[in-house]
Amino acid sequence: MNKYTYISFLKKYKWRYLLGVVWLIIVDGLQLIIPRLLGNITDQIKLETLDMSGIINYSLIIIGLALGTAFFRFLWRYFIFGTGRLIEKTLREDFYEKLQSLSTKYFNNNKTGDLMAHATNDINAVRMAMGPGIVMLADALFLTIATIGILLFTIDLRLTILALIPLPFLSLVAVKFGKIIHSKYKKVQESFSNMTDKAQENFSGIRVVKAFSQENEEIEKFAESNYHNYQKNVDMIKYSGLFHPLVQLISAFSFLIVIWYGGILVVKGTISLGDFVAFNSYLGMLTWPMMALGFVINRMQRGAASLDRLNLIFNEKEDIYDDKNINKNIKNIKGKIEIKNLSFKYKKEKEYALKNINMKIEAGETIAIIGRTGSGKTTLINLLLRIYNVKEGKILIDDHHINKIPLKVLRKNIGYVPQDNFLFSASISQNIAFDDPENIDFSEIKTAAKNAQVYENIIDFPDKFKTLLGERGANLSGGQKQRISIARALIKKPKILILDDSLSAVDTHTEEMILNNLKDIMQNRTSIIISHRISTIKDADKIFVLDDGKILEKGDHESLLKNGNLYYELYQKQQLEEKIANS
Amino acid sequence: MKEDFREEEKIKSAYDSQLMKRLLKYSKPYWKILLLCIILLVIVTGVNLARPYLIKVAIDDHINALDTPMIAFNKGESDFENKGTEYQDKIYIRENNLNNDYENQPRFQIINDKASHYLISGTIPDKVTYEIEENNNKTIIETENGKIFEGKKLTSQELTNFRKQDINSLTKIGILFLILILIGFGVNYLQIYLLHKTSQKIIYNLRQDVFSHLQKMSLSYFDKNPVGRLVTRVSNDTEKLKEMYINVLVTVFKDFFLLLGIMIIMMRLNFKLALVSISIMPLVVLAAFLFRRYARDAYREVRVKMAKINSSLSENISGMKIIQIFNQQKRKFKEFTNINNEYYQATMKQIKIFAVFRPTMGLMYSLALALVLWYGGGKVLQGALQFGVLYAFTDYIKKFFQPINDLTEKYNILQSAMAAAERIFKILDTETEIKNPENPAKVPEKIEGKIEFNNVSFAYEENDWVLKNINLTINPGETVALVGATGAGKSSIIKLISRFYDIQKGEIFIDGINIKDLDKKELRKKIGVVLQEVFLFTGDIKSNIRLNADWITNEQIKKASNYVNAHKFISKLPNQYEQKVKERGATLSAGQRQLLAFARALAFNPDILVLDEATSNIDTETEVLIQDALKKLTADRTTIIIAHRLSTIQHADKIIVMHKGKIREIGDHQELLEKGGIYYDLYQLQYKDQLIKEEEEIIS
Repeated sequence: MNKYTYISFLKKYKWRYLLGVVWLIIVDGLQLIIPRLLGNITDQIKLETLDMSGIINYSLIIIGLALGTAFFRFLWRYFIFGTGRLIEKTLREDFYEKLQSLSTKYFNNNKTGDLMAHATNDINAVRMAMGPGIVMLADALFLTIATIGILLFTIDLRLTILALIPLPFLSLVAVKFGKIIHSKYKKVQESFSNMTDKAQENFSGIRVVKAFSQENEEIEKFAESNYHNYQKNVDMIKYSGLFHPLVQLISAFSFLIVIWYGGILVVKGTISLGDFVAFNSYLGMLTWPMMALGFVINRMQRGAASLDRLNLIFNEKEDIYDDKNINKNIKNIKGKIEIKNLSFKYKKEKEYALKNINMKIEAGETIAIIGRTGSGKTTLINLLLRIYNVKEGKILIDDHHINKIPLKVLRKNIGYVPQDNFLFSASISQNIAFDDPENIDFSEIKTAAKNAQVYENIIDFPDKFKTLLGERGANLSGGQKQRISIARALIKKPKILILDDSLSAVDTHTEEMILNNLKDIMQNRTSIIISHRISTIKDADKIFVLDDGKILEKGDHESLLKNGNLYYELYQKQQLEEKIANS
Repeated sequence: MKEDFREEEKIKSAYDSQLMKRLLKYSKPYWKILLLCIILLVIVTGVNLARPYLIKVAIDDHINALDTPMIAFNKGESDFENKGTEYQDKIYIRENNLNNDYENQPRFQIINDKASHYLISGTIPDKVTYEIEENNNKTIIETENGKIFEGKKLTSQELTNFRKQDINSLTKIGILFLILILIGFGVNYLQIYLLHKTSQKIIYNLRQDVFSHLQKMSLSYFDKNPVGRLVTRVSNDTEKLKEMYINVLVTVFKDFFLLLGIMIIMMRLNFKLALVSISIMPLVVLAAFLFRRYARDAYREVRVKMAKINSSLSENISGMKIIQIFNQQKRKFKEFTNINNEYYQATMKQIKIFAVFRPTMGLMYSLALALVLWYGGGKVLQGALQFGVLYAFTDYIKKFFQPINDLTEKYNILQSAMAAAERIFKILDTETEIKNPENPAKVPEKIEGKIEFNNVSFAYEENDWVLKNINLTINPGETVALVGATGAGKSSIIKLISRFYDIQKGEIFIDGINIKDLDKKELRKKIGVVLQEVFLFTGDIKSNIRLNADWITNEQIKKASNYVNAHKFISKLPNQYEQKVKERGATLSAGQRQLLAFARALAFNPDILVLDEATSNIDTETEVLIQDALKKLTADRTTIIIAHRLSTIQHADKIIVMHKGKIREIGDHQELLEKGGIYYDLYQLQYKDQLIKEEEEIIS
């Protein structure tokens, strides 16, 4: 079942469309009067039945008609184009809302760039179909039928038929050329992006280019794709350049027939000169709708294809949500975590990321996980946050299966500091108060910043807490970003705090202060600290050493040192590093 | 530096004669074709303007010409008989087909009354009414002012005879019209094709210039300018100029000719009516320019809001995990809805502006039409104007409006083109910081490879010294290892040897020649560089080793790969050396990329080799291969390595320990270990695994 179809849009906005089309038809109707008026004036002049006051009357009628046309034109433009924009708006809103309901898995499989393209190009194509497309359709149909009707019944059957013969070719040309030009245009775009890629690659790899003195060769290479782009453009213009002259030629054929055959009919007295004049004007009015008929077919097709792509996203199944097994009575979490026989494998990987993990964390404990890159630490956290669903084994929180805890309750109670420190392009205080910017007051923000040891840095900025961050916090150092995201997690006063390697860019001294602050704040709360650095975790109640998805060792700092295993090795290495850094 | 999208939209005056001059320079080589385009455009315009005129001729001279006064001749009396009609042994010829010699001859006229036509001797002016009396075979016509004419009723066959010439003429006009539209079609197409092709060629040249110029820029220029911005200059800004060449440069002439042509024709047809028709034009121009301002602002706003949607969307997609973990979907949705709404409002504003402007223009046209009808119609009634002229005027006015309508669009194109041109020329005006010497020193095909640093100090940014007073001599064939913490200045040293940057103080010599006296290309040809970040280009394995150097044969590529142990993994790829490299080599492991880079360096057979050793996770098997490859590469070649591995360091002839931009220790492995300084500590760190084991052995 598709969420949206053309019909669904038409139904949803039927009054807007109906009114818009009515006004469009009124405009067309008013415009159709003018050629007839010109014809009448002609005949009356010829028959000498027109006097000056008659002419003034006609002039005033024309102005009146023009005013009416202008007024109703404003209305239909506003109504129909406006509805197109409204559909665009709704689609984009729904699109975004849908994205929010999809899990990390989806975003790993779909590139941001592609999703962005859907949000812009496809939505735009639908708008073009439902706005200008509808106008063209209504306009073309009504104008064509009405004009042809008028010509047939009021002027001359044979002349009408003869003069109209070339016009269907207009529609045909518009359809055919529309398609050809579109495909040629796609080729142009391809060659353009190819050329852009070449430039991009060259500039990114400029160091290699210069090191191997490849500048001239690169210039030649670029010239190739530049020339390719040139050729594709020329190739397109061969067709697109033909379009307008061809349209003019075809409509000129109609005029030719009217001047020649229509002229003879006037000479013979079959039709009046006024009819001749009116006919000419009507014919001029037919050119556009006949062309539009062709355009509209292409536009609607393109829009429909885009709508299909959008529906595909709208139909995407959500995989992480509160299902019917949820226990709604769980309103809070104390912080006891139990992991039983947990194994996990990412869909596209061959190897298990976690293998039979067992852990027991009492509420209020501080535990640490240490291990090499790829040992499975972050995967474990992803499962705790229910970014992925547990499939093999169990995670129990306060003795409830994690899938029975309402997602909101679970996440509300976890303070998470991610590895990649994603900050939003908003002010620092908005970023710290990310949890609930409207209700968190400034003193809380300040406290959180102090606890995360970032307060001093912030007040050194000219705009202090109001400092606007660039995209992804571009104007901050890595350490500052980490500490702001720590503040962002602390402000939630979470029952469970997770630091996923979140102190790596902070110097050891600051780290110590943060850890000290945490000790106070996290009393009676559960903390999970992931780190590469022993100094970060040595005071934890329990330390788990993860290697290759398995728990290799566990215990406290002292006992692990005694083990003389991986933990001990890491410790030794880091001691030395410290020494060199301080030399 | 982040480039604000508003920056790109910076308002630029629509015309800047300096910029325009430079832009026109690019079209100079094509002036002949462009001139041809203009001539073709004149023809197209002429054809377009001919239609109303032809209709006018058809109406006034033929369709409406039955009552034109005629002169009767006997057969054989006139040279213009072919233009006359035979009726009762006389040839009647319309006076406008004759010259003035016959001014005093009596006139005849055909008048019509209801369905009947009469040939009368004499003429009745347009406005005069008359009565017709038929007696037997005679018809007497009496006008309101008492004049009496004698007439003969014409049979329908006779009337057809009189009209035959009109029908023939109409056919002739039809044929003429057909020829005209065919010519118009061909010429128009030719013009469009030539103009586009030429503009495209001009842009091709300009783009090539910008790209080539950028290739000459030094690395520091690329440090300062983000890749995205440079790409925009090369592709999008030039594209904007194309729009200008196509839609403004030549079409301005078209509009001009069109307006001029219409004016001339209208003036010639009827001067006063022409003045009346164009009396409304100032109003139209005013409206158009007013609209342009509103439309431009509205357009900008739409663009800005769209950019906001895009940046918010991309940020939220990237940060979706955080949004979901922090339960902020509702709020973020509201935020997005607000931005989306702002965009919607902006587009609605744009719709309103256009919904006012377009109909207003239509209204203006109708106003002009009404004016022409009022004034011209009156004149027709007075008999002072032919009807066909009035008809032609209504047509011409319509055509008059088109260029004025387009004017606003052209103005916008011109404006953004000027801004783009300014940015492009700014690049072209920036000279490279690292200049080639005017008379470069001659270097032999093969150099020895002695490198000397003499009191070298260097800073990327002013006064932020990265290297301080470095003195260093590397003898031909030596292998030197650079060791030190991140930021110690190791990478800078190897960049300076290839003269990617110019030093502020001191000198660098290669084989005793100051590198500033060498041709940059020659210098870099002698030096092979392997960077830690191996950059792979789109293409296949082969082309990534050879780069663009066609003189390197496939055999040499294989040989080099074999030598550096890359052949083994390459031959395992499905397409071996033809295997496509995707996404900058993401499908290859770090070690494999490193080996490829070695093969690349070796294929060019440099006299001096400069390497930044990779430290990333490399499996032990590859590591062994890399070490082996290194050993082969460095033999008999001056080599500088930023070393991360003990094996490399141990084999080096000389180890240079760097710290905070200074050389702290120099010596070989043994010497430095004995010294017990920084090197000693580093060494311990690296091989602590071994150390631990040794210690354990000692303890036990």
